[in-house]
Amino acid sequence: MSLLKKIYGWIDVRIGAGELVEKELTGYLLPRNINVWYSMGSILLVIFSLQVVTGIMLLVYYVPDADKAFHSVTHIMNNVPFGWLIRLCHAVGSNMMVLILLFHMLSVLFMGSYKSPREMNWLSGFILFNLVLAVSLTGYLLPWSQLSFWATTVATNSVGAIPYVGEFLVEFLRGGKLVGPATLGRFFAMHVLIIPLTIAAVVGAHLFFLQRTGVSTPPFGLTDSRNRWQEDNYRYESHPGGIPFFPNYALQDMTSIAVYFAFFLGVVFFAPYIFFPADAFVPANPFQTPDHIKPEWYFLANYQTLKIFPSEFLGLAVQGAAMTFLALLPFIDRGVEKHPLKRPLFMVCAIGGILLYLALMIWGHYS
Amino acid sequence: MNMGLFLRRGFPISITTLCLVLFSLPVAAATQNQTVCLQCHGSQTGRGGAVVKPWQESIHAENGTSCQDCHGGDPKDAVNAMNPARGFLGVPKEIEIPSFCGRCHIGIRDDYLQSAHGKALGHGGPTCVTCHGSHDVKKATLDIINEKNCSRCHTYARAAELKAAMEQTEKRIVVIEERLKVYKGEGVDTEARGKALFSARNRYHRLFHEVNTAKVKAESAQIITELDKIQRDFGNIESERQKRKITGVAAVSGSLLAALLFYLLRKTYD
Repeated sequence: MSLLKKIYGWIDVRIGAGELVEKELTGYLLPRNINVWYSMGSILLVIFSLQVVTGIMLLVYYVPDADKAFHSVTHIMNNVPFGWLIRLCHAVGSNMMVLILLFHMLSVLFMGSYKSPREMNWLSGFILFNLVLAVSLTGYLLPWSQLSFWATTVATNSVGAIPYVGEFLVEFLRGGKLVGPATLGRFFAMHVLIIPLTIAAVVGAHLFFLQRTGVSTPPFGLTDSRNRWQEDNYRYESHPGGIPFFPNYALQDMTSIAVYFAFFLGVVFFAPYIFFPADAFVPANPFQTPDHIKPEWYFLANYQTLKIFPSEFLGLAVQGAAMTFLALLPFIDRGVEKHPLKRPLFMVCAIGGILLYLALMIWGHYS
Repeated sequence: MNMGLFLRRGFPISITTLCLVLFSLPVAAATQNQTVCLQCHGSQTGRGGAVVKPWQESIHAENGTSCQDCHGGDPKDAVNAMNPARGFLGVPKEIEIPSFCGRCHIGIRDDYLQSAHGKALGHGGPTCVTCHGSHDVKKATLDIINEKNCSRCHTYARAAELKAAMEQTEKRIVVIEERLKVYKGEGVDTEARGKALFSARNRYHRLFHEVNTAKVKAESAQIITELDKIQRDFGNIESERQKRKITGVAAVSGSLLAALLFYLLRKTYD
């Protein structure tokens, strides 16, 4: 018996490792018609882990002080060995996290995987989406550049349009009347600790819900693609005769992750500046407003929506209504059909919504 | 504020709000403070209003140097804007112009006063504004030395010789400036190189008022040496970038190869 087998045997008799592997890996069966979109969640876990690792590395040299933050980031980019790579991975990674999260949500939408009994999976995912946007927004301020300073100034200003509590919220977010050192302090705390810990907790909940409900069956390639779940008692959706998670789907996950890395590293090494306008490398100057400030691409639709309505409050209200609708979708859409081509109303709304989002994004970019 | 209440109510509200509102960056975000000088002169017709547009298009406006920085006065108080008690200086007399401009351009003023141009001040010689303009001041380049400008007072031949001696330096400075601008927009720390260029450019600009051809040639050679050093630095940056790109090709290729291997391995289990 080899040494490894001896070690494995020693562990197995104590904690039942073999049983665990059988239950969670080799014996964990997935639908035979599972597709590549199911690996978006695994990619997101990898991205989040990479963000945590690169974020911790940046923390070694980053100084969360309004007088030193910009210079510390410049130092990281220019003098710290591989600092440029770590910072670019972190900045590009945050954009990628939003992009892949959108793909993940879209795949869940189109495959009807949000339907009962997966309301909590959807809700926890929706909360994660908002948390990822919040972690991106708070991280945006940290380099203390012209772009980050003014983008945060206007972003926090918008909150003032909320009736009654608006003014309080603006001051609460900024830590004062204006964006300043206090804002940097609280955004830093939110970005490096509060939001990441919350994300980790919600990811845990999301995976727990997945583990308890089982993986949903894709509606494609089936004669009957209706949701067969009934609300009489708890049922785990098992897939007898399905493919094992390990090694089969784990290898699919690895393939998707490797393809993602090729794309991600391509951007990091060859086109990182698509995410960095020139103002991102000019130190914050509260007395000089840059000519053109545009938010990150994933906020462009929100930005344009606020602009097209006569009042900011109306713009906020419309966005709030749209987000609430999206959050409550599993409770609104109670139909049993999961195949997108058999859900014409859903298809019209979903494609219309996507086109509207893209149009607003492009309009926002060129406005 | 009660922390428990904050966590139960305030925190979710703030997060949701943060995510819902995010950005509303008004188009007119870039509103420079409109001084009372510009408000008043901008609405005037004739000589009073004629200064506004040339200033707006000048290097002074570009660098944030406004009316009060040269003419004094109070730019926030319309009633006392031109009150001498608030430091208003008005328009300088011809002989005062070099001192007027020289409050900021100290070295240039000294060079000018030592030059043939400066020595002729008050005796028909040119002042700063004769060549550079008053409100329409542009970034000083060699183009200022041209037959049309110089022939207003004397023949162009000697000026042309001086210009030829400085043209090579000028071209190098422009190229380096452009490159520095690009690097700055890409997060490269340009502070030290910017300072070196600033120093070289200042030395070069001080030659503008020198009429000794031999001195101009010798000084230009020294400036070129300094510029060479900056350009060697650029070479190092480019070389480093080349290495990064090679690493990038390896990283992307490695990822794609790994993807292919995982895919093929998965196929063996189908």
